[in-house]
Amino acid sequence: MNKSICFIGILFLFAQCKNAIRNESASLVLEAGTDFSANKSIAEKNIDVDTLVGNYTALYGFWVGYFENAESHDESNKAIYADEGFIWNRQNKINISIDKIEGEKVTGHSVVAGNDRPFSGIVKIAGSAYLFEVKEPGDDKYDGTFSFKITNGKLEGTWQAYKKIEISKRKYELEKKVFKYNPDVMMDEYKPFVDWQKSVVTDTWGDDDGYTEIIKEFATSTQLIYKVNASNTLLKKEDVANMKKGDLLVIRNAIYARHGYSFKNRPLRVFFDSQDWYIPVHTDIKKDFTEIEKKNIELLLRYEKNAKEYYDYFGRG
Amino acid sequence: MTFSGIVIKRNWKFQLLWYAALLYFSYLMVLITIQYVPVDFDVAFLRIKQDEIKLLHYQIAFFTHVYTSIFVLLLGMFQFSDYVRRRYSSLHRSAGKLYIALILLLAGPSGLIMGYYANGGIPGRISFCLLAVLWMVFTYKAYMYARKKDWKKHKNYMYRSYALTLSAISLRLFKWLIVSVFALPPMDTYVIVSWLGWVFNLLIAEYIIYKAATDSQISKS
Repeated sequence: MNKSICFIGILFLFAQCKNAIRNESASLVLEAGTDFSANKSIAEKNIDVDTLVGNYTALYGFWVGYFENAESHDESNKAIYADEGFIWNRQNKINISIDKIEGEKVTGHSVVAGNDRPFSGIVKIAGSAYLFEVKEPGDDKYDGTFSFKITNGKLEGTWQAYKKIEISKRKYELEKKVFKYNPDVMMDEYKPFVDWQKSVVTDTWGDDDGYTEIIKEFATSTQLIYKVNASNTLLKKEDVANMKKGDLLVIRNAIYARHGYSFKNRPLRVFFDSQDWYIPVHTDIKKDFTEIEKKNIELLLRYEKNAKEYYDYFGRG
Repeated sequence: MTFSGIVIKRNWKFQLLWYAALLYFSYLMVLITIQYVPVDFDVAFLRIKQDEIKLLHYQIAFFTHVYTSIFVLLLGMFQFSDYVRRRYSSLHRSAGKLYIALILLLAGPSGLIMGYYANGGIPGRISFCLLAVLWMVFTYKAYMYARKKDWKKHKNYMYRSYALTLSAISLRLFKWLIVSVFALPPMDTYVIVSWLGWVFNLLIAEYIIYKAATDSQISKS
C-alpha cells in the first residue's frame, strides 16, 4: 500500500516537471509599433504642423486629457479594482489632434489606447466658442462621432461609437499640449505600476451571504522605475541584472512613452497615462529611437525574457 | 550503511523518499542540461552571459561543465548504497573511477573557469571558485584514500565530494525557495544561494561524518 502510494507520488512528480525548470508560456509585452527589429512599418500619417496657417492656428495641435466612460448605466461593473487603492474606471488618455481647417471643413486624428484614427467634419462658430462635429471613417470597430466645443483654451465634448461596443459613449475635457521628445523626463510617483493581468489569486473566502472576496497579488514595480532612465543613460549589465520583471518592463516601456507611444497593453497604458508629461502621439515609433535606447531595449528585453522564463523556477537565472 | 541510513537508521521509507527526491531532481537537471543540446550560445543561462560566452575558453569551459556534470551527479547517486557496493563491487569501483576522473579532469577545472566569471559580483565569484577547488580537493583525497584502502576516510571524503556535487540541485532549490517566499531580486538571491547552495550541503556532510564517528565510538565501548 505504502509502496504504491509512493510510486504514484513519484509518477505525479515526474509528470509535473516538464514545467518545473522553465516557464514555457512566458511571453514578452512587445507591441508591434515599438519593435524596431521588425522591418515592416505601420502606416502613420505625419502632419507637418509648421505649414498650417490661418485664423485657426490656435485650434491646431494636440488636445490631451482623459477619455472617460459616459455610459448612463452603472459604471462600477466595468471598472477594474486591483491592489489596495488601485481603481481604473476604464478611462484612457486621448489626444485629439486638429490638423487642418478650411472654411468650415475640419480634418484631424485622434490617438487613444494604441489606436490612431483620422476624422473629418465641420466646425461652426458660436460666439467665442467653436463647435465641432467630426466623424471617424467607420471601418474600425472602435470608430464613432466626436462632438465637442473649444472655448477659452479648453476642449470639451462627447464621443458616440457607431457599433455596439463595451463602452460606446465617452466624455472628455482636454487641454492644449505641445509634444516634444525629452529623453531626460522621469516618472512621477502618481500611481504605482500594477500589472493586474499577471495577478495570482492567493486567497479566497466567502461569508454567509455568499459574498466572496478575492485577494490578489500583483506583479508590481519598485522605486527603481523612478531612478533609472533608459533614454539618456546607456545601461550596463550590472544595472539590470538585479531587476525584477515589473521594473524591467516599466523601464523599457518608459522609453516608448517618452516618444509619445500610445499603448495597447492596459496596465502599461494606465500607468503612463497617469504621468502628466505623457501624451499619446504615435502608434509606430520604430524609427524614432536613439542608439542608446536601442541598445538599452535589447538589454532590457534579454533580462525580461530571462526573468519571465526562469525567475521563479528551478534553475539558475 | 547508506547516506541516508546514518541519519535515520535503516528507515526504508526515508531511503525511498531520499532516492525518489534525488531521482526527481536529477531528472530536472537532465532537463536543464538538454536545453544546451545542440550547442546554442543564446539560450537559458547563456542569455545573460553574453559577454562571457564570446570568449573561447568560456565556451569550452561552459559546455564541458554542462555536459559532464550531469554524469557526475548520476554516477554518484548509488555509490553510497551498501547493497550496491557489496553486491556489485566492481560496478562501484568503475563508477567511482569515472566519477573521480570526470571531476578532476573535466567538470572541476571547467567549473573553476566558470566560477572566475560567475554572476553575483565578487562574493559570487569567490563562492563558485572556492566550490570548484574544494570539489576537486575532496574528490582527489577520496581517491587517494581509496588507493590506500583507508575506506573510512575514503567514505568521509566522498560524502564531502558528493555534497558539493549535490550543490547543483540545492543551489537551485534554495533559489526557488527564496524567490517563492521572499521574492528577492534575482542577483541578491543569486549571491545568497551561491554560498548557501554548497555550504549547507557541506555542513550536512560533516554532520553525517561526525555522527558516524560518534556512533561507532559508542558501539565500540
